[in-house]
Amino acid sequence: MEIKVTVNGAEKAASVPPETTLLSVLREQWGMTGSKSGCEVGDCGACTVLLDGKPVNACLVLAGQANGRDVLSIEGLGTPNNLDPLQKIFETHASLQCGFCGPGVIMSAKALLNKNPDPTRHDVRDALAGNLCRCTGYVKMIDAVMELAANNKSEAA
Amino acid sequence: MRPFEYVSVSNAEEAVKALAAAAPNGKPVAGCTDLLVEIKHEASSAETLVDISQLEELRGIELTDQGLRIGASVTHTEIMDSDLVAEHAPALQDAAHTIGAVQTRTLGTLAGNLVTCVPSMDSGPTLMALEATVNILGSKGTRSSSMEELFVFVRKTSLEADEIITDIVVPTKNLKKPTVFHKFGLRKGQALALVNAAGSLHVKDGKMTDVRISLGAVAPVVIRCLKAEAHLEGKSADDAQVLNEAAEIALSETSPIDDFRASKAYRNELIKILTKRCIEQSIALSQK
Repeated sequence: MEIKVTVNGAEKAASVPPETTLLSVLREQWGMTGSKSGCEVGDCGACTVLLDGKPVNACLVLAGQANGRDVLSIEGLGTPNNLDPLQKIFETHASLQCGFCGPGVIMSAKALLNKNPDPTRHDVRDALAGNLCRCTGYVKMIDAVMELAANNKSEAA
Repeated sequence: MRPFEYVSVSNAEEAVKALAAAAPNGKPVAGCTDLLVEIKHEASSAETLVDISQLEELRGIELTDQGLRIGASVTHTEIMDSDLVAEHAPALQDAAHTIGAVQTRTLGTLAGNLVTCVPSMDSGPTLMALEATVNILGSKGTRSSSMEELFVFVRKTSLEADEIITDIVVPTKNLKKPTVFHKFGLRKGQALALVNAAGSLHVKDGKMTDVRISLGAVAPVVIRCLKAEAHLEGKSADDAQVLNEAAEIALSETSPIDDFRASKAYRNELIKILTKRCIEQSIALSQK
């Protein structure tokens, strides 16, 4: 089937079999390997992208279901020389170790802050509950998100 | 993933036709959070997936003369974000919040959760306690079903291969009825219920009326505890002993399993505790 998806602001097209997931189109057709293939069944969150602004597991979205819609992946946030504030603060806090879960965690955190710029610690834990990390744990990630939210708030004030 | 056909349709009638043509190996899909996992695990024989996620007529949350209508493809996140649900059936939001994690709730739909017909589904108990009706469209036309009639056995509903749920309606008489949902899982996120429970009642002149108790993960399907309800009906809302008795009766109406998540003995304790907690907190809500 033919699909067209707006990925990180640019229109992308692909011709794929129906059993293709959004994750495999991103990684294998369009070369965007930032979204990771972890469990492939919606448990680990390593493939989290924003579909029409909302966090989803790209491994459970059929390519056909993404047709005509808007996707934001980790490649759409920052570049190595110009990190998104979330990426920067994860670096500052050393929130990641091996980094495999990182793109998914950061996309979930992005979705949270877009929807709720002033979250409680509990809100952050709830927002990251679908992203599993097996290295550093979650405290430094939650610290990073809370600090960015506080920084944004004091800038806005 | 193994090959299958993906059919995109523009309305519910077309979806039903596509399912009839593909029967018995067609499945309607929306969030795909359950069916794609089954396909990946080689646990589903579905050959044709009919995508109903974007059909306008299956979406939306609104008040009608029947009650609170929730479209079949409304997602758990949309339920959590809905002011109408918050006002008229907030226990449904508590239940939605316990499903999976954010990513699953963005994609997963209310009807999708029901048709999995797994015993631990988190949408079931509250809807059953609120006596929700499920509206269904098939080749033979429309029909309505109670939750009890919908759930047949583990992963088996009473839906025919060419039928889809179009919406779920909480009846007008039960809008704003004091109702409490509790789930006990091993974690706050990404956990299946060991036991989940909903209680619903009114207190009139100090006495409980219209008592409804529904439990999940305690039998092959989500169940109503009719005997426990009957035991509480008309009794004083201040009587702790009658609550203990009702919890024991509820337990007698269940048949939980022993598995790697919890022993039967542990689930038995949870059944009593969650039943009591739902009733006690519904009483407290009714006295607010």
